[in-house]
Amino acid sequence: MTTTVNRPAGPPSGRTVAKTKPTFKQRLNVFDVKASPYFYVAPFFILFALVGLFPLVYTFVVSLYDWHLLKGQGDFVGLGNFVEVLQDRFFWNSLFNTMSIFLLSAIPQLAVALFLAAMLDQNLRAKTFWRMSVLLPYIVTPVAVAMIFTNMFGEQYGLINNILGSLGLDPVMWKNDTFASHVAIATMVNWRWTGYNALILLAAMQAVPRDLYESAALDGAGAVRRFFSITLPSIRPTMVFVVITATIGGLQIFTEPRLFDPVAAGGTQRQFQTTVLYLWEMAFQRQNFGKASTIAWLLFLIIVLFGVINYLISRKIATADGPRGAKVRLSRADRKRIERTNR
Amino acid sequence: MKFARRKTAAAIAGAAALALLASGCSSDSGQTASADNPLELTVTTFGTFGYNDLYGEYEKANPGIKIKATNIDRGSNARTDAFTKLAAGSGLSDVTALEEGWLGSIMEVSDQFVDLNDHGAADIKDNWVDWKFEQGTDPDGRVIGYGTDIGPQGLCYNGKLFEAAGLPSDRAAVAELFGGENASWEKYFELGKQYKAATGKAWYDQSGFVWNSMVNQMEEGYYTKDGELNVDGNAEMKAKFEMLADGTGAGLSANQTQFDWGNGKAFTDGSFATFVCPGWMLGTIKGQLESAGGGADSGWDFADVFPGGASNWGGAFLSVPKTSKHPEEAAKLAAWLTAPEQQVKQSAAANNFPSTLKAQEKLVQDATPNELFNNAPTGVILANRAKGVVAQFKGPDDSVIQENVFLPALKMLDAGTSNADAAWKEALTLLNDLVVNN
Repeated sequence: MTTTVNRPAGPPSGRTVAKTKPTFKQRLNVFDVKASPYFYVAPFFILFALVGLFPLVYTFVVSLYDWHLLKGQGDFVGLGNFVEVLQDRFFWNSLFNTMSIFLLSAIPQLAVALFLAAMLDQNLRAKTFWRMSVLLPYIVTPVAVAMIFTNMFGEQYGLINNILGSLGLDPVMWKNDTFASHVAIATMVNWRWTGYNALILLAAMQAVPRDLYESAALDGAGAVRRFFSITLPSIRPTMVFVVITATIGGLQIFTEPRLFDPVAAGGTQRQFQTTVLYLWEMAFQRQNFGKASTIAWLLFLIIVLFGVINYLISRKIATADGPRGAKVRLSRADRKRIERTNR
Repeated sequence: MKFARRKTAAAIAGAAALALLASGCSSDSGQTASADNPLELTVTTFGTFGYNDLYGEYEKANPGIKIKATNIDRGSNARTDAFTKLAAGSGLSDVTALEEGWLGSIMEVSDQFVDLNDHGAADIKDNWVDWKFEQGTDPDGRVIGYGTDIGPQGLCYNGKLFEAAGLPSDRAAVAELFGGENASWEKYFELGKQYKAATGKAWYDQSGFVWNSMVNQMEEGYYTKDGELNVDGNAEMKAKFEMLADGTGAGLSANQTQFDWGNGKAFTDGSFATFVCPGWMLGTIKGQLESAGGGADSGWDFADVFPGGASNWGGAFLSVPKTSKHPEEAAKLAAWLTAPEQQVKQSAAANNFPSTLKAQEKLVQDATPNELFNNAPTGVILANRAKGVVAQFKGPDDSVIQENVFLPALKMLDAGTSNADAAWKEALTLLNDLVVNN
């Protein structure tokens, strides 16, 4: 501190100050101020580099080679694996299945989660009990969920087909039929994630100022109108967050389809083989690590693409209406003009 | 603040030193176990292995050895487990069970496994039937696996259902019915159609197992002896496929899911009347009956006959991976578990059939009736069924061809969505996509 105060006092004194070496303690202090923040954030970045960045890069390297699971690295093939995978009917089949299951799970899931959240936002007795209850399915491990549901969806001995049979209806081919199997898997996903999303949406709803509702009610808006005109617009940012996490999770779905058919990787005719499941089959059954890495990278790119689309949409939504959004879009000249008129 | 940081640094340094010490200790592999120097051996098996009591016995006889056992539900999952860990270069158990079906793949990286010749394999070589010991030996003469069981196939049938359909239910009469020594698949499917006509019910659970039996019975299966793919243009195999497709098309398959069977219910509700049974399958059926709450009254029996003659399907080996920290102790345990005395006990616990000659003789001598299978002397029958078994060469992708190429094609037949020609074509396409151009 003293050095900077002394500096403007003239060249001689300034020179002497420059000559006195800072003590070890001072240097340590400077180092502390300058470097410590980096050390504090370092653990995350080191960890990310180790378990995120390195695998990402290494996977790309592997995808450029013929790489056998057991025998290891083979010849360099450049983008040959990418060309082959993009022509692979099973890859496109897996993408179709992934998208289908994703849509079948994300849309009903968000709709139900919204409804649940809106209900939980009401004045209920034993609030905590209800809120905890919707989270319960999330606590159960996906493996257990998949096993129970797989049992229920059994074609010849499953609970659901038994009930259908006793009602005189035809059994549904939950595993052999493509659409039915997607519905079954989406059900497992929804079972697990609906409550979780409901709680996140509920948290956002609780932050909506209550006086908005009151004044709307005074103006004669009914419950439904209040929900669509106040609640929904107010929780948009949270909705976007929920949609993004649901997208990333939905595109990476593995456990449920894996356990839905314990013998084959996603159904004997690949009716419900998702992309991650195909990646798994490629790596550990067909033992082609190069192509498996290629699939992993393509999936990564697809998720990034979805992320970008989500980002663009969310920016649109965030700036679409409201006073805060309007301000962001003003140019500097606009702002100056406003300032001038305000003066 | 600074002081605290120095303290943290010291703590980290201390922890690191401890870690170094710990790893230094564990990498010391030359020592033998004793009560003062305990040592843990890990073992991974799959399916119904029947080792649980043997582990305790070994621990008692060898103070200081602690066995930590893992059992994987079925062979194909054990395959994934083993392959993943081989690829990762760590994680395999000290003693790892390998299945005959994917041994071909393992043989390509046989240098990842300890040569049991270094641990006295030559001395006990004569314990086994020749072909089993040879299967566990790689082309360079390194022994990487001790045989546990083999899979000679007999015919499981449900006596109650046979009776209800007006067929004989007595074991000897059933063997005679199927043709005894001259039993053929033609006869098997013919009887199936009779049964179907009489009862309206299915003859076998699903096509996959029948197919595996048919292929394992051939002199050369999916690969020739020289390791060439042997499917496209294989007239004999195609003829068998068509025979099976014809049977399945006639409604002889119950279209069950293998290794699921509605949690065993299919074995108790009369869904199907016959079942192809390699020795180890008897243990699988036992497990299925238990989970479905069925017992000896379910009516299952085991006949000394098999369509198309002698057939061997499956069987396992115990290996010691190179990554094991205690190869000496692990090899000792593997040798002990596969020794004739223990194989007899294993067979009693798991209903499978031993691969050592003495154990086989003992089973024949005892002729213990198997209560679950209408008191059939399963050991004696399996010993008979093992006569004339020829080991078939298993190529690197044998298990992929079985599970990922033919199973989907057969499932199409089971589900009634395809016919013989289309399903065979589908199998060839899959073979091309998954194996040839992989």
